[in-house]
Amino acid sequence: MRTPKTLLPLALLAAGLTLAACGGNDSASGGDPGAAFAGATPVKGGTISYGHEQEPPCLIGGWVQQAYIERQFADSLVSQVKEGEIVPWLATKWKVSDDQKTWTFTLKPGVKFTDGTPLNAAAVKTNFETWLNPKSLNPTVDAYIGEYYKSSKALNDTTFELTLTKPYAPLLSALSQGYFGILSPKQLAKGPQVNCEQPVGSGPFIVKKWNRGKNIEFVKNPNYNSAPANAKHQGPAYVDGITWKFLGDQTVRYGSLTSGESNVIYNVPTVNWKDAKQKFEVQQYITPGRPVTFSLNTVKGPFTDKLVRQAFGYAADRKAAVESAFNDVIPYNGNGALSQSTPDYDKGLADAYPYDPEKAAQLLDQAGWKENGDGVREKDGKKLTVNLVYPAGAVFSAEGATALQNIQEQLKQVGFDAKLTAATQSEVFSGKYSTPDSYDAITWYWTSPTAGVLYIVWRQNLKDRPNGNNSSFYNNPTLENTIEKANSTLDPAEQKALYAKAQKIIVDEAAAIGLYTQTTSLASEPKLRDVWIENSQGEPVFHDAFFAKEGGDS
Amino acid sequence: MSAAPITPVGPATTRVDVSGALRGVRPGLALAFAIVGFFVVSALLPALLAPYDPFDVNLRDALQAPTLAHPLGTDQSGRDVLSRVIYGARESLYIGLAATALSLTIALVLGVAAGLSGKFTDGVINRFIEVLFAFPVLLLALLFVTVFGAGTTTLIVAVGVGTAPGYARMIRGQVLAVKNSGYVEAAGALGHSYPRIVRRHILPNAMRPLVVLLTLGVGQAIVWASGLAFLGLGVAPPSPEWGAQLDAGRTYITQAWWLEVMPGLAIVWFALALTAIGRWIQQRLEGGQR
Repeated sequence: MRTPKTLLPLALLAAGLTLAACGGNDSASGGDPGAAFAGATPVKGGTISYGHEQEPPCLIGGWVQQAYIERQFADSLVSQVKEGEIVPWLATKWKVSDDQKTWTFTLKPGVKFTDGTPLNAAAVKTNFETWLNPKSLNPTVDAYIGEYYKSSKALNDTTFELTLTKPYAPLLSALSQGYFGILSPKQLAKGPQVNCEQPVGSGPFIVKKWNRGKNIEFVKNPNYNSAPANAKHQGPAYVDGITWKFLGDQTVRYGSLTSGESNVIYNVPTVNWKDAKQKFEVQQYITPGRPVTFSLNTVKGPFTDKLVRQAFGYAADRKAAVESAFNDVIPYNGNGALSQSTPDYDKGLADAYPYDPEKAAQLLDQAGWKENGDGVREKDGKKLTVNLVYPAGAVFSAEGATALQNIQEQLKQVGFDAKLTAATQSEVFSGKYSTPDSYDAITWYWTSPTAGVLYIVWRQNLKDRPNGNNSSFYNNPTLENTIEKANSTLDPAEQKALYAKAQKIIVDEAAAIGLYTQTTSLASEPKLRDVWIENSQGEPVFHDAFFAKEGGDS
Repeated sequence: MSAAPITPVGPATTRVDVSGALRGVRPGLALAFAIVGFFVVSALLPALLAPYDPFDVNLRDALQAPTLAHPLGTDQSGRDVLSRVIYGARESLYIGLAATALSLTIALVLGVAAGLSGKFTDGVINRFIEVLFAFPVLLLALLFVTVFGAGTTTLIVAVGVGTAPGYARMIRGQVLAVKNSGYVEAAGALGHSYPRIVRRHILPNAMRPLVVLLTLGVGQAIVWASGLAFLGLGVAPPSPEWGAQLDAGRTYITQAWWLEVMPGLAIVWFALALTAIGRWIQQRLEGGQR
């Protein structure tokens, strides 16, 4: 008899892994890695090899990952720059009627989709109708404007009119996102299946081929003439194309950059952040919208009691847990309602529920959850066990999972028995964790350039169904009315006050407990110049990027 | 796994002479026993050996390289890696033993039934084993994890079922060899009833190599289970299961080598030590051939 053959290779593999791990730390000298190429004049040619993380099920849709991709091949009506300021893109100007319900957009003339058809007002109208058609619904577009949309009209070739049911202040911010990229009606007519893989826009790049599980091949649109006003140049892209690779494993992704396989990568592993800063051009964007938070189930289980929700907030040092897990690279966001980079974010709530285990214990005592000697609190013979679900992998990073484990340990100290459940991407998207029975708390986020996202997340019901984005199942008419009023108020000061009031309700009621912000980070090799991150969603922009020649004219 | 060569066996009454056996123990084997002993104690009484609580988060000590205070370093949450490796032994060993037990149970039923039954049943069972064989263990395990979700029980069932066909075939061969041996024929000639022959002669003799299989199998099952956990398909963090530790430490591979090396070494050493012991037992059973 012999040793089973499978054992040896596996043992060798483990040993190899062991050796591979002995590389040790890199210590590069400081300084600006891009200094040699600063101010270089743009050079044409070359293909950018880009290492991205998540691969979506379709190239268009309502996930932020799809917005990132859509940005490459489609243009939106407007673009958002810092501080929520809106600049022209496909729409060169716009005006709104006195009752704030009718928006008229003037489109840039002479813009064509890459299939040769014209991008005119009729095409924009078709896009609005397609987004909101139940058969080809874009859930994110629907979440933003579904309730406000009344009709759209092509007044002439370059004038598009959008009529709303009620005033909607966040409209332009919403339109600046990649989900609202205008696509070719000729291609859209072929149905969602075709457009899932072969969407056609008017953007700087064209989807040549999507090799599922591997990459998307983009080629340059040689006739591009519709860059947004905040682009660094007008006209076609400098590079010939992008190979948009899916490298889900962050060690592999970073390795592809250090080995030269990739020219630029997305989501730099926080553990490699310092190293990346020394060797590459690094940029980070703090995503606005709903930050990563615990949504506490307010209709079933122990978190129906506000005192228990508040105790949960006080029980753990979330700030330290986040900062340690993310190696001080991604910021803690104590405000559970809005991310710190969102316009109208309330700074006063940044320190909501600081670490205070005594207060947590006192609140739990008050709520009737008593210590019983074995460390887990009890009430009426039931243990204080809470099931914390987090979407692992593509949605929630390894560092995020570490932060949760750190918090889990501290929750134990005050008598919570917190169980962590890692949900897979498919489980999350299939709705396995969408009912009050399926969790006590779930970690979730919703990236958005406007505080109007509060309405998406916190309203109780949509026209015809419960609001799936309200993952706390929280029902508070005062909150809902406050946000609705803020959305329809065009006076900035009044609007700010209303959004602040809404944030305060969410935080005081502990319906959501803040954790950290979503981010986009990019690390690019020094010779790749002018890659930038746009401001609505953190979409990477390659239209202005070029490969500088060695020893460029700095 | 290749079909096992059939071991010629003597009557069941032969016993292994333990004192004689230990005389042949080489230093390498002694080390193997020491390693297995250490991990068995770790599994049974982890608190005795571990300097810290394996779940004790200490953020200020996160990602510390090995020092006197933390001989194997600390992980991303400041937990002591040595303590986690020690506590992880229980989970890994439990999965290894349980998966092997399940695997051998399935293999016994199939193998003995095939070996003892007539041509037709033997054929049916053999085809069934061949179908199982067609699935690589990992693929079968992945199937289980996909259908039933990740977790300790799934891991045990997946590895147990996945490795069963190889054993089943070995046991069938063993049963066939014993069934046709001289002493079984002699027992038949002496007028012993068939059930008695099966009970007294065939089963005991056919089962002896199982001791070896068990030893080798546990090591193999631990490697499989760690592999699945490494792919994120096993026990969920913060469990200190060795494979889960490897998976969690993967992210830090360029900054904190000890997170991969330490649990990796535990897996490698333990599996190698069990293999060495298994081979030694095998040699003893085969009459001291080297």
